[in-house]
Amino acid sequence: MGLRTGIRTGLIAAIVTIFLILIGVHMLMGRLLQSWFYVPAHWPGVWLMVVLLGLWAGSRAVGQMKARSWGNALLAGASAGIIQGALAGAALYLLASITQAGVDLRAWLTQMSQESIAALTLGLAPLPAAGFIGGVLLVSALAGAAWREWRLRVHAARLARGERTVSLRERLLEIPAVAQVSSNPLSRRVLMGVFMVLLLIAPFFLGQYWNYNLGTVGIYVILGLGLNIVVGMAGLLDLGYVAFFAVGAYTMALLTAPQPHHIQMSFWLALPIGVLLAAIAGILLGIPVLRMRGDYLAIVTLGFGEIIRILSKSDVLTGFTGGPRGVRNVGHPVLFGKDIGNEFYFFYFILIGVILAIIITRRLEHSRVGRAWRAMREDEKVAQAMGIYTLKYKLMAFAMGAAMAGFSGAIFASRNSFTGPEDFVLLVSINVLALVIVGGMGSIPGVILGAFVLKGLPEILRELEDYRVLVFGALLVVMMIVRPQGLWPASRPQLERPRPEEEALEEAPAELVEGEVGS
Amino acid sequence: MNVAAESSKLRTARVKERKVSLGLLLRLGIGLLVLAFFAYRFYGVLARQAYGAETWARLAISGLIIGSVYAVIALGYTLVYGILFMINFAHGEVMMIGAFAGYFVLEAFAASGFSARQPVLAILITFLAGMTVSMLVGISLERIAYRPLRGAPRLVPLISAIGASIFLQNAAQLMFGSMRRTYSNPPALERNVGWVLDIAGKPVSITYTGVLTFAFSVVLMIGLYLLVQRTRLGRAMRAVAENKEAAALMGVDVDRVIANTFAISGVLAGAAGVMWGLHNGIIYHYVGFIPGLKAFTAAVLGGIGNIPGAMLGGIVLGIAESLAPAVLDMPFQLKDVLAFAVLVLVLIFRPTGILGEVLAEEKV
Repeated sequence: MGLRTGIRTGLIAAIVTIFLILIGVHMLMGRLLQSWFYVPAHWPGVWLMVVLLGLWAGSRAVGQMKARSWGNALLAGASAGIIQGALAGAALYLLASITQAGVDLRAWLTQMSQESIAALTLGLAPLPAAGFIGGVLLVSALAGAAWREWRLRVHAARLARGERTVSLRERLLEIPAVAQVSSNPLSRRVLMGVFMVLLLIAPFFLGQYWNYNLGTVGIYVILGLGLNIVVGMAGLLDLGYVAFFAVGAYTMALLTAPQPHHIQMSFWLALPIGVLLAAIAGILLGIPVLRMRGDYLAIVTLGFGEIIRILSKSDVLTGFTGGPRGVRNVGHPVLFGKDIGNEFYFFYFILIGVILAIIITRRLEHSRVGRAWRAMREDEKVAQAMGIYTLKYKLMAFAMGAAMAGFSGAIFASRNSFTGPEDFVLLVSINVLALVIVGGMGSIPGVILGAFVLKGLPEILRELEDYRVLVFGALLVVMMIVRPQGLWPASRPQLERPRPEEEALEEAPAELVEGEVGS
Repeated sequence: MNVAAESSKLRTARVKERKVSLGLLLRLGIGLLVLAFFAYRFYGVLARQAYGAETWARLAISGLIIGSVYAVIALGYTLVYGILFMINFAHGEVMMIGAFAGYFVLEAFAASGFSARQPVLAILITFLAGMTVSMLVGISLERIAYRPLRGAPRLVPLISAIGASIFLQNAAQLMFGSMRRTYSNPPALERNVGWVLDIAGKPVSITYTGVLTFAFSVVLMIGLYLLVQRTRLGRAMRAVAENKEAAALMGVDVDRVIANTFAISGVLAGAAGVMWGLHNGIIYHYVGFIPGLKAFTAAVLGGIGNIPGAMLGGIVLGIAESLAPAVLDMPFQLKDVLAFAVLVLVLIFRPTGILGEVLAEEKV
């Protein structure tokens, strides 16, 4: 029994290991350890990754087994380690021998430089190197298996004694300071106030770079709140959200820049026009998709987003949109004759935008419109049966979301003084969707958290830049499997106190939690 | 209150409402506008005699070829949708990986001279490599990203699919780089070489790669049709598509059937990827995105869940996309825009597709 589990896990672990090596993660680990912990060379990081992968393989193998048994655990760990080690060793053998025969593998596999492979062979000939990495993986897998077996036994003993497993939230609440703050509304407000003050004075101390980045996070917060209205509150999966962002940005650009149209309107005039046009675009987009099913809605909106991008890039409309090169010298806001278009002032601008967006979203959430949206999201037919005119509310959702996107787009274009078709690729829509989903659909703090995690974190972890989108995609998949309601889920209005087993369900919109039959 | 009078009032009111609705008026209006636009532009083109007969022929032929590739990819989408009611967003990426697998094999063959000595065998093995790798990717995709989400509401697997798609694109970019790679066709099957027809006095070429693409696509379509209609696995697939619970009760291993469906759709995508590489030459990590989207459009166009529909939709979309810029007197750069426009129009006017959907369960 342990053997089969071990072999299966070993195969999976081998694929993962070889994959990570092929995309160069081992070198990344080496670089990270060098720059963060001042490790002198890069091979410690590389081998740390190898060991961790072995530990994981052994641990997973044991985790798959229901019955506790040291013999089986070690058998599983050993077999997983042997399979993983053998396959990874074979792969290394291949790579090393080909490289040592003089072929530069980088024409095929861009990460497989001499240095990259040498980090794994440690200067040994191919065969000993394969043996070494195999051995390391085997030992790590055994260790991982032993550790996991121990932890599972501890856990089983706890359950046998009748102790309940404690969630992270509960454990945090046990800390007296946290409990006091979270229960006392006054202290919550004070904390919020302190936070606001910090935000207000921050730009004076942060340099240009961080002001810009925080500003970008803020823009994505506004975008996230807007998409939150469409997806989270109304339940309409919009994958072409970037189109409204583009409308706002291009409106601002084309109205204030000297180039394509020589209009050179003031920023303050162009901004509301941009928002208005975006809202109109939202309604126009909403009309054809009113009756479409969820999946089709997603694809059609995606198509719309791409259409806007292709049109703005096309040669044929260059006279109108500025073509593939975009629009330069976008106007800045001017206050009392002074050009305040730098990162510093824009930070406050964006902050005001964020606060407005939060206020609008909260008001909508607790209004008739918000309740209509929630009803539509849970079950459209029932909502219609209850007398909600879904047409109107769907269009309203699109318009509101689009307006927020238009606002962000206009600010974005003005701050960069430039905008072009490359700013509006599909990835932007997916970024915003991801931060809404990862943060928590329909939840305002969730969206803000999502924006910080998905936009702010990569800025801090600059070395991971190449792998950002990869992690992103994996994160989406993992989040859906592990925690579909997001990091900070919206709380559902409760009519009665929830029973303990319903507690987890209470946190998420039905969209993400229910669905046993007929799905 | 006179009950009889009240109820007769309700009856007439109901009948009146069914006749003309706002939605119907809107659709009629939009439809008329679109038709008018088409007619106006087409008339302009005809009047100017902007394109000679040989251009139309050339466009039609290239549309047919690309349409057959779309059809093969669309079959993959429709198979998965029919069983799981989800759009396999990562299908385009599965095709891309197949194209890359074929690329590496073909490169090795070209370097060793095998392509020159045994072109037929080389091409065959290339296809096999592409199809196998794509099949494995398709199966892993299902296992990792979709199976754990089997019972979840529709939004969840959709987002997981988007995540998987992004992941695969970027994994390919990290592993193989972002540069465009060119397929090294065997000398016997070079691109842009073929027979030359004479139409209205001007030459129109039909390339060897084009013929291969079209022929192989037809073979795959026929093969799939036979598989679904005549084999046990096909019967099991149809059963699971019709009603998962009932099929399970009748002894069908639903998990296996779903895995097999993904395997088959992977094989088809891989074949399409290799065909794309052989015919169009250039592949890169993003190559699966737009064809994937268009193939989905084709599947919807033909009727989602409907296998002949996917084939028809693919061919129709290919030809339409090829001819539309010429018919409507628009620049060819906007080809993709027109393909998306087709999607939107189909979903507004005939959401069930040309041949109708084949989904037994009422979609919630």
